[in-house]
Amino acid sequence: MENLVTANIRSRPTRAFISILAVALGVILMLVVGGIVSGTLDDYLGRTMALGSDFILQPGGSSILYAFSDASLNQKLTGVIEELPGVAAVTPVLSKFHAKGFGLVFGIDMESYNRFPGRLEILEGTASLTGDEVIVDQAYADAQKVKPGMTINVLNHDFKVTAICRPGAVVRVFIPLETMKVLNGTPDKVTIMFIKADPKADLDTVYATLRDKFPGNSILRASDPNLLLAETRLPGLAEFRMLVVFVSMLLSFMVILLAMYTTIFERTREIGILKSLGASQRFIVGMIIQESVMICSLGAILGIAISEVIRIVIITRFPTLQVSMTVGDLLRGLILGLVAGTLGALYPAYKAAKMDPVKALSYE
Amino acid sequence: MGAMGEMKDGASAANAIETVDLEMTYRSGRVDVPAVQGVNLTVRHGEFIAIMGPSGCGKSTLLHLLGGLLQPTAGSILIDGTDISKLSDAERTAVRRRKIGYVFQRFNLFPTLTAKGNIELAKKIHGNGVSNPNGVGSIFEMLGLKGKFNFRPSELSGGEQQRVAIARAVINRPAIILADEPTGSLDSRNSRTVLRMLRDLNKKLGQTIVMITHDSEAASTANRVVEMKDGRILTPTCGYSYEPELERVN
Ligand SMILES: Nc1ncnc2c1ncn2[C@@H]1O[C@H](COP(=O)(O)OP(=O)(O)OP(=O)(O)O)[C@@H](O)[C@H]1O
Ligand SMILES: [Mg+2]
Repeated sequence: MENLVTANIRSRPTRAFISILAVALGVILMLVVGGIVSGTLDDYLGRTMALGSDFILQPGGSSILYAFSDASLNQKLTGVIEELPGVAAVTPVLSKFHAKGFGLVFGIDMESYNRFPGRLEILEGTASLTGDEVIVDQAYADAQKVKPGMTINVLNHDFKVTAICRPGAVVRVFIPLETMKVLNGTPDKVTIMFIKADPKADLDTVYATLRDKFPGNSILRASDPNLLLAETRLPGLAEFRMLVVFVSMLLSFMVILLAMYTTIFERTREIGILKSLGASQRFIVGMIIQESVMICSLGAILGIAISEVIRIVIITRFPTLQVSMTVGDLLRGLILGLVAGTLGALYPAYKAAKMDPVKALSYE
Repeated sequence: MGAMGEMKDGASAANAIETVDLEMTYRSGRVDVPAVQGVNLTVRHGEFIAIMGPSGCGKSTLLHLLGGLLQPTAGSILIDGTDISKLSDAERTAVRRRKIGYVFQRFNLFPTLTAKGNIELAKKIHGNGVSNPNGVGSIFEMLGLKGKFNFRPSELSGGEQQRVAIARAVINRPAIILADEPTGSLDSRNSRTVLRMLRDLNKKLGQTIVMITHDSEAASTANRVVEMKDGRILTPTCGYSYEPELERVN
C-alpha cells in the first residue's frame, strides 16, 4: 500500500541517503572503536591467562598492559615467593613495548617460564634462549616472514631467531631476561612475576599469604577472567567507551534533527493538509518518528554491515589488532542508533504537531 | 442552544451547522482585523449552500471556523449538534476528522502519493478501520476517476485532481463538506464537471455542502446562496424555507 512515510523518504532520496549514511557512520564509530577497545582488552585477558598462572605480582599502583609499567620489582623476590607455602612456580618477566613490531616483548627466564602450563611450545627450530637469541611465535613469523636462523632487530638490537613457538603464549616475541635487563639498564628489576600455586593448595589461602607478604604491590588473580578484569586497573577505559557511544549517538541525533527539521518546513503545507483531514497531533508526531525510525534502521543496518567489513579487514590486514563485536554489541549499535534518531526527531515532530493549520495551508 | 451543545451524536441534531453570533478577529501586530462579525448561519442536513462575496470579506475565515481549523474570538459553532467553540484543540480535531471533509481551491493532494494513496491516507487518518459503505472504487466511479487509481497528482489534470480531492473529502462519509472555491483553479468545462459532481453527492448521498465561490453560475448549483460583506452575512437566512425532499422531486 502507498505509505506517506516511505513516499516522503523516496521523494528526497539524496537527503535520505545522507541521513542514512550519517547514522551508519555513528554506528560504525561506536562498533569499531568499541570493538577495538574490547578486543584489545579480551586479547590482554586471554594472553594474560594463556600462561596459566594463578597470580600476577605487579608493583603497587601499576595498571593494565604491563608494557607501560615500570621495571620496579626486585628480581630477588623470586626466591622469597618460591619459598612461600602453596607456591609451585614463579617466573620473573621484564617487558618492553616494541613500537615497530608486534607490541610487547618479554624478557624471560625460559627455564622457569616453561614450568607454567602456557609454556613456549616450539614448533620449529631449537628451544634455546640465551644472549642474543630470540624466539617468536607463529603469527609473528608468518607476518614478518621469519624463519629460524634469521636475524631480526628487536628494540634496536640484532637477535638471532632460534625457534618459532605456538602462538598464544602471552606475547609474540621473547628474548632472554638477562639481555633485556642490559638493554633496559635495570640490572635487578623486573616488571611482573607470574606465580603458579600448588594444585593441592587452596588459592584463597595462597592469595592471602601473598597479600600479607607484599602489601605494597598489587596481586592479580589470574585464574579467573572475571577476577582478573575486576582487578586490572583500566584507567578511563569505561569512560572512553562511554564517550565514543555518546559522540556517535550525538552524531545520529544531530543529523536526524537537522534532516527532520528541514523536512517539516518543506512539508508545512502537507502538515496543514493532514490537519485539515483531521489528523491528530499524535498522528503527525507518529508519522515523523516513523520516518526517522526508518532512516535510522537503514542507517544502523548499513553501519553494522560496514563495521563487520571493517572488522574483517582489520583482523586480516593487522593480525595483532583485535576487534571484538558480539551479537550483543551489534544489537546495542542498532538500538542506540534508533534511540538517538528518535530523540532527534522529537523536536521537529513537536513543531509539526503544533503548527497552525490555517497558516500551514496557505504556506507557499 | 445549551442542550444542543451537549449533544454528542449529531444524527438527531436538527441542523448540520449552526453558528451563533460568531466573531473572528485576527490580531496582526497592533491592528485588529475583524474578519467575521456576528455571523448567525444555519445549514440544514442535506443542504447545499454557496457563500459569495467580495475578496477579503471573510468567507475563508468562516469556513475555517466551521471546520474547527480556527478558534473563534466569540460566539459558538454547532456542528451536527456539538459546540466546537468550547472544545479543546484535540477535540476539535476529532470532530473535524469525523464530521468534516475539506475541498480546497488548490486541491491540496499529497504530491508524493497516488490518487489511491491520497484516499487511503484519509481513510487511515479517519482510523478505527470501519468499513465504508462507499469503497474507493464506487466513489471513484461516481466521480469519473476509474482507471486513475495509480496516477500521481502531477499526472492528473486540474479537474481530475479536484475530483480526487472530493473523493478524499467524502470517503469517510462526513456530515459536512466544506469547499473553498473548489472551481477557482479550473477552466469552465472542468468547473462544470466538478460542480455537477458536488450536486450529485448532495442529491444522491444527501451530502451537506458549504461552498465558497466567486462565480454566480457555480453558486446557482446550490440550493441557497449566502452573501457576505465585511465579515457579515447580508442575505437573511431565515427568509428561506428549504426542504431538501422537495428539491429532489425537481
Ligand atoms: N492570518 C491572518 N491574519 C490577519 N488577518 C487575516 C488573516 N487571514 C485573513 N486575514 C484577513 O481577514 C479578512 C478575511 O480574509 P479571508 O481570507 O477570510 O477572506 P476571503 O473572503 O476568503 O477572501 P478571498 O475571496 O480573497 O479568498 C481579510 O481582510 C484578511 O486580510
Ligand atoms: Mg478565501
